Amino acid sequence: MSVLRPLDKLPGLNTATILLVGTEDALLQQLAEAMLKEDCTSELKVHLAKSLPLPSNVNRPRIDLIVFVVNLHSKHSLRNVEESLHHVDATFFLGKVSFLATGAGQESHCSIHRNTVMKLAHTYRSPLLFCDLEIEDFRAAMAQRLVRMLQICAGHVPSVSALNLLSLLQSSENPSLEDL
Amino acid sequence: METQSEEQAAAEAADSRGEGEPPQVAGPQAARPEDRMALLLRVRAQTKQQLLEYKSMVDANEEKTPEQIMQEKQIEAKIEELEKEIEEAKIAFEMKKLALDRMQLSSALKKHMEKINTKTSVLMDNMKQILSLNKSVMKSQQETRDLEDKLLDVRKKRLQLKQASERKLLEIQTEKNKQKDDLGSMENSGKIKTIQQNLEMEIQITTVIQHVFQNLILGSKANWAEDSALKETVLQLEKNLTMIQ
Repeated sequence: MSVLRPLDKLPGLNTATILLVGTEDALLQQLAEAMLKEDCTSELKVHLAKSLPLPSNVNRPRIDLIVFVVNLHSKHSLRNVEESLHHVDATFFLGKVSFLATGAGQESHCSIHRNTVMKLAHTYRSPLLFCDLEIEDFRAAMAQRLVRMLQICAGHVPSVSALNLLSLLQSSENPSLEDL
Repeated sequence: METQSEEQAAAEAADSRGEGEPPQVAGPQAARPEDRMALLLRVRAQTKQQLLEYKSMVDANEEKTPEQIMQEKQIEAKIEELEKEIEEAKIAFEMKKLALDRMQLSSALKKHMEKINTKTSVLMDNMKQILSLNKSVMKSQQETRDLEDKLLDVRKKRLQLKQASERKLLEIQTEKNKQKDDLGSMENSGKIKTIQQNLEMEIQITTVIQHVFQNLILGSKANWAEDSALKETVLQLEKNLTMIQ
């Protein structure tokens, strides 16, 4: 299958699956471990991928949240993410996709400007998170945040849906982008 | 897809009712049925939420998308309109919930008030304390307002004094300028020039007369060094009177 669709499979009981897409293997691995360490009432499954499309021979559960990890130090990761975005169905972007930009702490190494990533997130109407995945405390905090988002996107939190969360997250971001 | 999840939910509800029957389980096993019940209830809530999501997706897919190709800006404007509608619906819902909560609270309060003895209850004490606090708050607010008024008066007076001093300094400056102008104009007037010319002429005449006297004395071969008056006249050669200007 070449395009990821959000609701084409039935959800597993009490399981939530997140897909992390990015070129930095070590960082994704560490983030996945931090997320699995989190205290969560539902079972978490973390899938890692370098880029989409995913190989179609593997039997995988329904993916509830996709996080595209962009490393601000390398233009290659941004291009990789942009190409992978073509393989995601449009209905995914109703709250089940998020962008994560790492490496913003070291300004001297950044080859991608913050605004590029912000524009990308704005075009796809998805939330953008900034986190230095190399620092353990920030990684743990971001893992906690992602676990909460994943629970909401998987439908495990009653009365909050992914779309609801999206509109909650967007209201503070848009005014600043209008000034750009 | 939807009927399957409904069946699942029904099965779980039956299970949870069955599990609730035997409560007397001793020791560590007491934790497990409760955990399992909690798990079942949680899964039930999850399935409900997921069912809602699937239903809304089905409803969304039934809506017809506009066939004509709109420009990107128009699409963005439309998206913002729809987002605004969502926000307004959310706000209206929250307001209604708030109003409903208030009504429930006030009716519960009314029923409570009918039952209790109004002199001694904790509620009345709370209300009395609230009233006394409100009074003290109003008093301090009044005091702050008075102080602010006084401050404002003092500031106004300061401003007036500053303006008055500004005016005075301006007057002084204009007077000084007038004096300077007068002096300047006086110097350039013709009167002074004629007086200066007369003075020059007089000085020249005096110098000539002096020189005549000096030459007379020298020419007469008299001994002028003995007489002090003659000495003075001769030695005045050194003073150059034209330098007095």
